[in-house]
Amino acid sequence: MAISANALEQLLQGSSSASSLDRKALGRLLAELARSVDTTLAGQASEVPRFDPRLEQLRTLLLGREIESLARLSHQIDDPEELAGAVSRVLPAAIAQASTRDGTLGEVLAPAVERATRTSIRSDPQTLVNILYPLILPAIRKSIGEGIDATFQSLNESLKHSLSWRGLRWRWEAWRSGVSFATVVLRHTLVFQVEHAFLIHRHTGLLIAHVAADDAVSQDPQIISSMLVAIQDFVRDSFTAGDQQGLDALRLGELTLWSEAGAFATLVAVIRGNPPESLHDTLRETLTRIHTERGQALQTFSGDSAAFPDVEAQLRESVLLRQEARPVQRSRYPSMVLSLAVIVLVLFAGWLFHWWRDERRWDDYVGQLRAEPGIVITDVGKHHGKWEIGGLRDPLAADPRQMLRSTALDPARVVEHWQPYQGFNPDLVLKRLVGSLQPPTGLSFSVAGDRIVARGSASYAWLQRAATYIRALPDGAPIIDLSHVRDLNQGALGQLRASIQSMEIRFAHNESLPAPSEEAKLDQLASQLRDLDALSASLHVVTRVTVTGHSDATGKGTSNLSLSLARAEAVRALLKKRGVDPDLLSIRGAGPLEPLEDEATDAARSANRRVSLTVAFD
Amino acid sequence: MLQKKICMLGGFSVGKTTLVKRYVESVFSETYLTTVGVKIDKKVVNLPDRTVNLILWDVAGEDDVATIRMSYLRGMAGYVVVADGTRPATLDVALSLRERVEAEHGHIPFTLLVNKHDLLEQWAISDAELRSLTDEGWSVRTSSARTGEGVEDAFTDLANRTTR
Repeated sequence: MAISANALEQLLQGSSSASSLDRKALGRLLAELARSVDTTLAGQASEVPRFDPRLEQLRTLLLGREIESLARLSHQIDDPEELAGAVSRVLPAAIAQASTRDGTLGEVLAPAVERATRTSIRSDPQTLVNILYPLILPAIRKSIGEGIDATFQSLNESLKHSLSWRGLRWRWEAWRSGVSFATVVLRHTLVFQVEHAFLIHRHTGLLIAHVAADDAVSQDPQIISSMLVAIQDFVRDSFTAGDQQGLDALRLGELTLWSEAGAFATLVAVIRGNPPESLHDTLRETLTRIHTERGQALQTFSGDSAAFPDVEAQLRESVLLRQEARPVQRSRYPSMVLSLAVIVLVLFAGWLFHWWRDERRWDDYVGQLRAEPGIVITDVGKHHGKWEIGGLRDPLAADPRQMLRSTALDPARVVEHWQPYQGFNPDLVLKRLVGSLQPPTGLSFSVAGDRIVARGSASYAWLQRAATYIRALPDGAPIIDLSHVRDLNQGALGQLRASIQSMEIRFAHNESLPAPSEEAKLDQLASQLRDLDALSASLHVVTRVTVTGHSDATGKGTSNLSLSLARAEAVRALLKKRGVDPDLLSIRGAGPLEPLEDEATDAARSANRRVSLTVAFD
Repeated sequence: MLQKKICMLGGFSVGKTTLVKRYVESVFSETYLTTVGVKIDKKVVNLPDRTVNLILWDVAGEDDVATIRMSYLRGMAGYVVVADGTRPATLDVALSLRERVEAEHGHIPFTLLVNKHDLLEQWAISDAELRSLTDEGWSVRTSSARTGEGVEDAFTDLANRTTR
């Protein structure tokens, strides 16, 4: 019993000092008590009877409070409503603790949250729309804006390059490789390099990480990142923009500064050259990845960048891009291009030569017309591919159409219109003079400056006509010089003429043959006529000799007429017999109508029976 | 690399900009103060166990508290309020600035720097006044931008407190 007393004491002391009971000790105590009360139970060391009023009494005595609280707890656990109430009181704190420990809670909850969200959307999509609206709208706006920017960029580039030589080459490349022209333009023109990338903590403006290209220079990146944030704030404050909006881009000459804002950090890229819009996506992806991987560290950042050991490497890898200008590829079809160019060139040269030759011919033709007397050109031009020429033309001047035919120009391409006029050009005046006066063949003309000089011989009659003609010419006409023309009636020819005309061949009454005494006279006459003929020929003078027969007035008129004609005929025959060209001589019978003397006496009648000769020069 | 954002606040002509100009690393010209309203400089402070880069935001907006762009103070780890020891009015401005900052950003380590301590004959703020502020738990220091007195200590002390 001593042991049990000790054990009880120990138990009581233990229970008073600690709130929880030592159940093993309690079990041993109860077994000992039972053995001391009933010795029959001594062999059953560890067994406790299922129900014993005494034990129950003892249990109530010893554990009354614990039994009550156990009952309350089991009631709470068994009653779902009670249990829910109890858990709801500790749930927020439990979740908070679990999420700080590790990521397991997120993983466990994710499927349930997804299911719940799905159910919520299915039952009432409007709720989720209302929740997401303020988030999605700016994102959509930004995305559309960037899309439009990209379109404009490619459009601008396309327009800028569509008309240049380089543009044509790129068009050829696009056609050959089957990609759009805009793509080819972008490929060639978007040469850029990201020189710096700053990852900046949004709240403090402190620099988290900075990477720079090898050859890039800048001021202290820590100061710069703060200044960038200050400028963002400045712009936002100045234009009262929302918290989510800020400067997307700055441009300074060749440098472009693109800023991509995340929840906790901003990624700023300093780009030299011409970045494509797709670089925005690269920046955004990089920033999102950094946020996903290090969201916690970003949120609690307090200036110690040691929390981001490999962010720099990440930035360097994904953002520090460089796109070099691609080396110009040698065209695979140089010969084709070359031959095409040569053909075009040859065709062009041919056309050019043809054009030049025609222009030259035309100029020559116009020059010829200008030099032509009697043609005055007042207008020359080209109209609808046809040459046009017009002016004044003397009807005696050369025919332009005739001249055109000798130039090899296509007459169908030439339009001419001429007004008639009378020119004072010496050549024309001479032409007109020759036409009007028909000068004798013994006369020749030459033009000396503004004078027309006539040389040779002409009959007095012609000279008279010419003088009248010259007097009738208007003022300003060229001078026609006749001073060098010999009068045929003077000189050797004139003397012969006078001598021949003074001679008369006499006839007996009613005789048609000359008297025998006239033989010597006929010989002399024949000799003179032969001289006349020879001289005329040498002087280019046409001479006509008329042999006229006469009769006296006795006898019948008709017989007198035929007698006179017979006498002229006889003389011509006699002269022909003496070597005179009969063509030189024309004959006529004058009868008694041209008496030499009045027939009052026989001597007078005898004088009228004769043949006379007249000489005329043309 | 440890950085801390420190804002420099203070009334007109208290020597705030001169302090920054003479004792810190400067990159930007002072025209930023009038254009953007802030000028950013860096002060490297070597503590026994580590080096701290203080990024100093010299915030414009002088006598009138309302003209300060409060968004510039966001995320600062500490601040320096500068007053001019020869002009007691600047101390009032400094006190009201501190109140305003405290109201908006809660308790953040700060130092009250009473500047121009080289002009002793013109000194117009009593030691008792400063002592009463120290008694309230403030870090109050005198300094001279011209001689450099107290400047290094002030920044080292502030760096210490912001990294504690």
